[in-house]
Amino acid sequence: MKIDASLVVTIAAIAVVKSTPLVYAGLGGVLSENAGVVNIGLEGIMAAGAFSAVVASFYTHELLLALLGAVVAGAAFGLVLAYFAIAQRADQIIVGMALNVLGIGGAAFGLSAVFGQPGASPEVTSFSIVSGHDPVSILERYALIWIALLLVFTLQIFLYRTKIGVHVRAVGEAPHAAMAAGIDVMRIRYVATIAGGVLAALGGAYLSIGEVDLYSDGMVAGRGFIALAAVIFGRWTPFGVAAACLFFGLFSSLQIALQRADVPAQLLEMLPYILTIIALAGLVGRTRAPAADGVPFQP
Amino acid sequence: MRWLVSRTAPVVLALVVGAVVVATTHANPLDAYAALVQGAFGSLEAVSETLAQTTVFIFAGAGLAIAFRAGLFNIGAEGQLVAGALCAAVAGAQLHFPAPIEVVVCVLAGAGGGAIWASIAGILRARYGASEVITTIMLNYIAALGANFLVAGPLRGSAFAPETAAIDPAAMLPPLVPGTRLTIAFPFAIVSAIALWWWLGRSVAGFELRTVGSSERVARYAGISVPRAIMRAMALSGALAGLGGACEVLALFHRFNAQLSPGYGFTSIAVALLARSNPLGVIASGLFFGVLQNGALSMQAQAGISKDLIAIIEGLIILFVSARWIGARLSVRHGGQDAPATEQLAS
Repeated sequence: MKIDASLVVTIAAIAVVKSTPLVYAGLGGVLSENAGVVNIGLEGIMAAGAFSAVVASFYTHELLLALLGAVVAGAAFGLVLAYFAIAQRADQIIVGMALNVLGIGGAAFGLSAVFGQPGASPEVTSFSIVSGHDPVSILERYALIWIALLLVFTLQIFLYRTKIGVHVRAVGEAPHAAMAAGIDVMRIRYVATIAGGVLAALGGAYLSIGEVDLYSDGMVAGRGFIALAAVIFGRWTPFGVAAACLFFGLFSSLQIALQRADVPAQLLEMLPYILTIIALAGLVGRTRAPAADGVPFQP
Repeated sequence: MRWLVSRTAPVVLALVVGAVVVATTHANPLDAYAALVQGAFGSLEAVSETLAQTTVFIFAGAGLAIAFRAGLFNIGAEGQLVAGALCAAVAGAQLHFPAPIEVVVCVLAGAGGGAIWASIAGILRARYGASEVITTIMLNYIAALGANFLVAGPLRGSAFAPETAAIDPAAMLPPLVPGTRLTIAFPFAIVSAIALWWWLGRSVAGFELRTVGSSERVARYAGISVPRAIMRAMALSGALAGLGGACEVLALFHRFNAQLSPGYGFTSIAVALLARSNPLGVIASGLFFGVLQNGALSMQAQAGISKDLIAIIEGLIILFVSARWIGARLSVRHGGQDAPATEQLAS
């Protein structure tokens, strides 16, 4: 295989494209986990977001309203997680699993209920309708990628440079101390969890109306769990998670580039999962979650 | 009475919400559920098939119950099931013993495959403190991708599809009811669940496991080796999931392919949670999910309701089981009301 500059550019471009949905979901995980709520339901929320965006686009033919559809679904799933995890003090892993089953199963059921066809939705208005090579078109065509990039920096600054961001991290590290300092632990956890759900759903919308123009069963294909891996790999910081997502995206990209080479696709696909296990085992430095991550708060 | 309410409330609530979902699609929920029950129990064949589909849920659910009681949130039954099924299929195709020995060897291969796959997570948890929640999730994908790779290449035994060669006839479990897919695997699953229940409640090792599940600190003070109990629980849990996978191969499919399990390992989490991590209860909750699984197709065919409704019901059951307002709140970690298994997440 000949390696030249254009191939490198192509691989890098595909890596960015492939990492974008991971970045959304990963940032969603970072936000809620920094506030102390583990979200292993990212996969299901992405499916719900992807499907809702398609439904909204199908009926309105408006990209903004399609995104709004994903936002509503993400907020609803985030609210369910928040209610059970915070108000009910339920086991967050169990609730997350429920969200995965509900999101994926709900979208599959919805395909039959809304479109009358199982398997895949019809084609809907998507970002691919924005054609043209002028700067404005390019900005709009890849809007979800630019927004993801913007979110990475915004969230990093928010969590580490703003007062509310520090409050969020305080709630995730030491909720009782945060409460003693006058921080409303419950409210911060609710907002962070719901916002995290919205971000994950946008990642799903990117898959359905950003990359292609329909929803199909199995579309999310484990990306929610790779995002979960990226949260750990990126050590719970937005920059770290974005880097991990890019790294994982690079693997998907290489996989496409190496299709004709003798590297089995499955073995490349496995790498993010294997690396996460290695990272968790502490073989590449220490990974440490926020101290109160996953622990229900009892005032 | 309170016991009964707390055990059945998540199911009833999930079925009610499921009915509302059906109603929003302008269909009659009662027709849907009637078709489902009819499909699951309508004939001797239907009942046999329901019990055949229940088998894997009892095996994997009982295994998960063991892990949950040890305070380990094993999400990896799916991967362990795949590992067990693949090992059993390879053993069945490659080895040629007389019938009874062949079956036993294949069953053991399945249990061993599942146990080894789960032990990766068990060892990482016991030795390095790596959260079993995350490692088992990752191992699910590694198992699925690895199995896909193997059946597409090195282990491919069929010219038509990426799957292993058919197992020896000697390794196939014969039907209990002629003309159906119900085999001895079903009573074997029930006996296994009862044996696990006895082991968990009556044996020293079972006691140690439960103690570690309620409080690792107490277990340490009592002189129990926590790492050993964790590794034992994970290995046993994986062995049961592996048995479930092996029986799918030996009783139903007679070979391994990637479509063998449409997420049985994940459904088994709901099975174990609904049974409140009691291996005996798993028999009942496994049957419930077997009914859903087998009845769904006729619900789709006769009432025109997508079979995916059962995924919604399953998700709702998991959600409601976690809730505090339905009877005694469940924590995977028994006794630790506010110390869920996730406490150690990645610490």
